[in-house]
Amino acid sequence: MISPSLAAVSEPRPLLSVEKLEAGYGRVQILRGISLSIAAGTVTALVGPNGAGKTTLMKAIAGMIPARSGQIRFDGRDILAMPSYQRVESGIALVPEGRLIFARLSVEQNLRLGAVVPHARSKADQTLAEIYERFPRLAERRNQVAGSMSGGEQQMLALGRGLMSQPRLILLDEPTLGLAPIMVARVFEVIAELRQAGFTILLSEQNSHLALGACDYAYLIENGSIHLQGTGADLAGNDEVQRLYMGR
Amino acid sequence: MAAQLFFAALCSGALYALVALGLNLVYGTLRLLNIAHGDLAMIGAYVAFVAFSTFGLAPPVSMVLAAGLCAAMGWALYAGIFRRLFATPETAQRLEANSLILFYGVSVILQNVMALGFTSTARGYSYMGEVWRIGPVMASGNRLLMLGTALAICLGVLLVLRFHAFGWSLRAVIERREAAGIVGVNVDRVQGITIALGFAIAGVAGVLVSMTEQITPFMGFPLTIAAFVVIVLGGLGNIFAGIVAGFVLGFVETFGIALTSATYRSILIYGLFVTVLLLRPQGLFGKAIQVR
Repeated sequence: MISPSLAAVSEPRPLLSVEKLEAGYGRVQILRGISLSIAAGTVTALVGPNGAGKTTLMKAIAGMIPARSGQIRFDGRDILAMPSYQRVESGIALVPEGRLIFARLSVEQNLRLGAVVPHARSKADQTLAEIYERFPRLAERRNQVAGSMSGGEQQMLALGRGLMSQPRLILLDEPTLGLAPIMVARVFEVIAELRQAGFTILLSEQNSHLALGACDYAYLIENGSIHLQGTGADLAGNDEVQRLYMGR
Repeated sequence: MAAQLFFAALCSGALYALVALGLNLVYGTLRLLNIAHGDLAMIGAYVAFVAFSTFGLAPPVSMVLAAGLCAAMGWALYAGIFRRLFATPETAQRLEANSLILFYGVSVILQNVMALGFTSTARGYSYMGEVWRIGPVMASGNRLLMLGTALAICLGVLLVLRFHAFGWSLRAVIERREAAGIVGVNVDRVQGITIALGFAIAGVAGVLVSMTEQITPFMGFPLTIAAFVVIVLGGLGNIFAGIVAGFVLGFVETFGIALTSATYRSILIYGLFVTVLLLRPQGLFGKAIQVR
């Protein structure tokens, strides 16, 4: 059932909880009091139309834009006032929309920059080896300039860079945007693998059908607030969601 | 003769590379066009002059003093003004758009304060003026010191960029400031340190200039222009290419003047500048990369 009340009631302390968050750009307010919570070890999906505020929410959680009011707690700690680098240190990695890789640096330099925070730097060699194992394509192209790779490869690089920081929560913002169908499938494979490996993932995705099939819990965002929430299957079965976002 | 010219080109190239390095670091990380950059070199030159003529301190000591003074000025500007403005995207954008005017003001203030304090009379002192013969080249001690210092600083910065964690963070900010924060770079700290470093390098460059040339409160502007030409040649924010471009300018200027005459100096420099802007606006060594 879709319930407007608290998510993941059984979880005593969610890994991430957002309360009545408001944020925007300049005078434009995008998020109008968003509340959500994410249980450790789960994949949570954010679905909704373009411009609903999914990316803004991701940026606010990662500290790329300041919040105007509300609360963001990560692992019990209030992180609202933290600059983004401290949020990375505490275990949040944003894989941003548009990937934002360092185009003129090599693939390996991009990855190593992902481990710039102290706790990750000491394990960088080991993590790098793991990422090369997971994404052999990146290993092949390690010395290539990152900007010369295909969109799908750049997405894998952005994800690998995020993993280099030893995150506990991965914010995946529109990871399939502009990718060929085969790469979209690969991205969702990787999401499933990461979930298996114990990572907690918040996934923002315009492809509602795929996202709802891959997640444990989902939120439908419209106009900067949570419109519906429930398990992936709940939302996928909802008439309104089907009609508006899944084209049925 | 050719060897002597080569040495002269190397010396002026190293100086151009050094002056431009400081400007490029500040532009690359903060996206601020520091038109007062040459005036910081002027401050460094006066530090060396006063230290030498009043306190009997040798220029190598002044390099440390000038670096410290200019770094402090850079840090004060950052902590006092820029940090707050960089805090939100809107004010950061406005700061970047108006940086030319802001630094023009800084430039005018520095020049006139120094003109008040020291008058606009040209000053100079003599340090390590003895001439050495190295193979076919006659080189004064102060030029050798200038060349060695400039090369060492350029190399040092490149090594930090290549191997040190701070250098990596710096490159991340240069390449993509908004992405640097989300990979875990303390962008605020990198910006503050970089502006201090860029200003310090300008101060040291000024000390080097003062060893071989007379100084005035208005010596900074030509240095600023040369530095701008160099970083455009190399590609804005591209640190390594900027250093190479400094030497390119030194060689074009020195050999160009030798082949024509000193009256062609400006034509050579601006001619190179305009040609590169027309044919390769991304810089001599820049690659236009499409980000997909």
